[in-house]
Amino acid sequence: MTVAIGEPVRRVEARDKVTGGARYTEDVRAADTAYAALVGSAISAGRVRSIDARQAERAPGVLTVITHTNRPDFAAQPPTPYTAEGRMPLADDRIHYAGQYIAVVVAETQEQADHAATLVQADYQRTSPVPTLDAALPAAYIPRQNGLVRFPSEYRRGHAETALAASPVRLEQEYRTATLSHAPMEPSSTLAYWEGDRLTIYDSSQAVHTHRALVATAFGLPEDRVRMISSFVGGGFGNKSFAWPHVFIAPMAARVVRRPVRVTISRKQVFTGTGHMAATVQAVRLGADREGRLRALIHDSTNQTSFIDDRQEGAAGTTPYMYAIPDVYARMRVAKVSTGTGGAMRTPGDSAGAFALESALDELAYKIGMDPVELRRRNHADTDPVSGRPWSGKRLLACYEQAAERFGWDRRKAEPGSMRDGDDLVGYGMAGGQRMEHQSRARATVHLSDEGTAVIRSSTVEIGGGGLTTLSQVAAEGLGLPVGAVTFEHGDTDLPASSPTFGSLTSGSAGSAVRLAAQDALRAAIELAVGDRRSPLHGADPDDVVAHESGLRLRDRPDRAESYRELLRRNRVNSLRGDGDFQPAGETAGYAMATFGAHFTEVRINRHLPRVRVVRHVAAFSIGRVLNARTARNQAQGGIIMRLGAALMESQRPDPVSGRFISPALTDYHVPVNADIGEVDVLFVGEPDTNANPLGARGLGEISAVGICASVANAVYHATGRRVRSLPITPDKLL
Amino acid sequence: MLPFHYTRAGDIAEALRILSRDEGATLIAGGTDLVTLMRDGIRAASHLVDVNGLGLDEIHWLPEGGVRIGALCRNAVDDARLRREYPVLAEALRSGASPQIRNRASVGGNLLQQTRCTYFRLPEFACNRRTPGAGCSAIEGDSHLQAIFGASPQCTAVHPSDFSVALQALDAVVLTEGTRGRRRIPVDDFFRLPGTTPHLTTELRRDELVVGVELPGGPLAARSHYVKFRERASYAFALVSAAVAVEVRGGTVRSARVALGGVAAKPWRSPAAEEALIGRPLDEEAAAAAGDAAARGARPQRHNGYKVELVRRVVRQALSELG
Repeated sequence: MTVAIGEPVRRVEARDKVTGGARYTEDVRAADTAYAALVGSAISAGRVRSIDARQAERAPGVLTVITHTNRPDFAAQPPTPYTAEGRMPLADDRIHYAGQYIAVVVAETQEQADHAATLVQADYQRTSPVPTLDAALPAAYIPRQNGLVRFPSEYRRGHAETALAASPVRLEQEYRTATLSHAPMEPSSTLAYWEGDRLTIYDSSQAVHTHRALVATAFGLPEDRVRMISSFVGGGFGNKSFAWPHVFIAPMAARVVRRPVRVTISRKQVFTGTGHMAATVQAVRLGADREGRLRALIHDSTNQTSFIDDRQEGAAGTTPYMYAIPDVYARMRVAKVSTGTGGAMRTPGDSAGAFALESALDELAYKIGMDPVELRRRNHADTDPVSGRPWSGKRLLACYEQAAERFGWDRRKAEPGSMRDGDDLVGYGMAGGQRMEHQSRARATVHLSDEGTAVIRSSTVEIGGGGLTTLSQVAAEGLGLPVGAVTFEHGDTDLPASSPTFGSLTSGSAGSAVRLAAQDALRAAIELAVGDRRSPLHGADPDDVVAHESGLRLRDRPDRAESYRELLRRNRVNSLRGDGDFQPAGETAGYAMATFGAHFTEVRINRHLPRVRVVRHVAAFSIGRVLNARTARNQAQGGIIMRLGAALMESQRPDPVSGRFISPALTDYHVPVNADIGEVDVLFVGEPDTNANPLGARGLGEISAVGICASVANAVYHATGRRVRSLPITPDKLL
Repeated sequence: MLPFHYTRAGDIAEALRILSRDEGATLIAGGTDLVTLMRDGIRAASHLVDVNGLGLDEIHWLPEGGVRIGALCRNAVDDARLRREYPVLAEALRSGASPQIRNRASVGGNLLQQTRCTYFRLPEFACNRRTPGAGCSAIEGDSHLQAIFGASPQCTAVHPSDFSVALQALDAVVLTEGTRGRRRIPVDDFFRLPGTTPHLTTELRRDELVVGVELPGGPLAARSHYVKFRERASYAFALVSAAVAVEVRGGTVRSARVALGGVAAKPWRSPAAEEALIGRPLDEEAAAAAGDAAARGARPQRHNGYKVELVRRVVRQALSELG
């Protein structure tokens, strides 16, 4: 049997990507395309009194200017959460946030549209904005339970307040996380055209089937009249998980001008028009005994949301599942700020929540004089504390152990400020991470051809995580083919509906669908062979036939074998089709499913000029089976680096008067540069976890970005004796 | 972006002719700042005069000492003698922007780059620098990157250049050419503080262009150093930076220059810090005294008090590394 799964195969699309051959949404051309520019609101709260578009309409090349006064009606408001905003674009005269689209200029060229957009004059009636989370906090509330809130906002077991009061050791702290921008390289782009009542829409979407359904609803079409295509996504990190207003604007404008319309949002609009991770304020109260056994935990988080929607940043969502604590209360509230609706950003809820909880645990460890790893070991949840079910493949203890060993945690001197190297203060910190594993229905087909090749057809989108490669490996292994013999048709609603490419669904759900499809194709090939008199496998028990080197053979008789090519050609079969339809077992599975990680960080901080440098980070993950050692390592490093940014520099600051984001540019919104990144070492402790799904793999993209900020902050404390509870840990906080 | 005319000037005279004829004309060299400003609707030039064909890209060593750097030398200028004789200049240039931008950006453009103040860069905010008399949203706004020296009620923006801070420490002279002749403007005079006219950022006239900068010779420059402190390891503007140059003879400091970046609308010379060094050995104590002196008189805004302490430390660090 060909072993393909787990091999460090190079990305199947790597060559196309580095040679410019990979076609992104912006690269797609359609004849006679018109271009739209989106005019953003200059104020952050109020109404549009009037819009004077006359000058813009007279500008060269302009075809139309669409505003709330002349727009065509949408058929319906498609459902949240994957419609990003619970308000259709240009719905009315109300302004909820700075940069909200108030007009769409469509012209012959992008330059003409951009120019005319500057000529649109709006007259506003201003009202008082709520500029910051702090200003909104007094009015925080439990969010309305609608489509935007997918997970419960409150959780209770036991009596946390009482248990806390009775705990010999108590700790109460407040932690803050900043508003973060996804800042992908690729600004979102949509190209839409109508052929009668058929709509084709190229969109930089992480989930074509999910988003197609929303577009179909908005335009009152049956889904099969809409085709959505997303070949490659140039970085999403969650901001392309949602259909943002521009996705609906493009087809609307295309209808008005009766031509294909392209909308590519500007770099600035990436920061205001496709969401962000909302800032949080989190109160954590811990009760423990002197041996470090946790008795009570209260985790109370409030995040900012927009005046349009109640979007919960689920910072306390995973908290109840993490440690064996008898009494737990978790709550998540929202507070309305004059800002856009937040979105899911790697890793929704858990990244922010882990910063608070894992920082608090570190504080507790120092308070009782215990090694932070040992504190976590003592409170390890052997079974899921919420459902009581056994975990499916939890190897968190191995993560602690292996990462600590690789890191050299035993060299740590416990006393803060006790490790120095010249002018550098040296700090070691660690933290754990957990994310609940979700699954989604996913379908795929695999066609096995008489060339001895296979084609996977599935609507999964390559967002940079390496999914095309790992899924190709799954099919290759299932059919005994070299990975190079597998090609992939992807990112198109004309293909079988895969799981969305977000929420770490690809390995588990899309991967299982491909596995099932490959098995189905193999079964078809075996049936053909054992029923074919001319086959060396004729009459064999199908259970004894296995895939081997681009063909089939008897498990125990290597000489009774033939290639797919011979088999199919002889039978005049062009290709055999295998279907895979993965249906999550969900609540009936009998297992609790999550992914786990442990992080260890070394920081160095010059004692005179205190900028935190992360020189070394070691992480270990428990994610079941690793599909590709190379892409997995790469993806985990990416997740870690992304959160090192959140730990040290990333913050989309609101103007304290208007609430407008003041860093809507890559110059000002700092993400780590190469020179900021030290050694990032990644370990996987997992083994196949076939309780979770047929493939035995769980998601990696999300868990890789959980726990890093706390690990860094804990290391900063160890280096300096200074506890920073507000991200990012910028130099001003260490002076 | 608004439509504009474009001319590639064949000589200085042609560039000056267009500048003096057309109010809306502006020069473009590397374009690393101007293009962004135009795209963002901050600058609306009716006519771009491309000066990249004018030469002005040489480093010329003067026989009587000193060096002249052409305005169209790129920021990536890498000259062994310059590195040796003016280390602070080479270090400042290298610490700016990214390699790609340094390859493109010109020396003249570096001096003339606009502030990174977000309230200037986002047209939705009021800005006296952009529109005289419009008001300043930064006053009530987020001030964590704003000035602590030399600000006015009309403007609190800071100059973003590293290179200019080094020039300030080197007593450089800006060389200009205009329809009314040539001028030599000491760098300290070239940059203006905002006062009541924040839209006037330099002494350069409308019909004038920068042709180069001249650095004097002498012993100060050889012992000079630049320290830039920022939020990430590279590709970020300074929170605070310091350019220092010290002449030590007989064990004591004879003359010194201390200039600060990231703290004012111009590269900020600190005579108090310089005086604190004169006549004493260049040691840790002197460095600390200079740092304290440099921070004196700072007037932080609501969110940038940290810059005062940073000034102390950056100056001390720069002098310590020099000593």
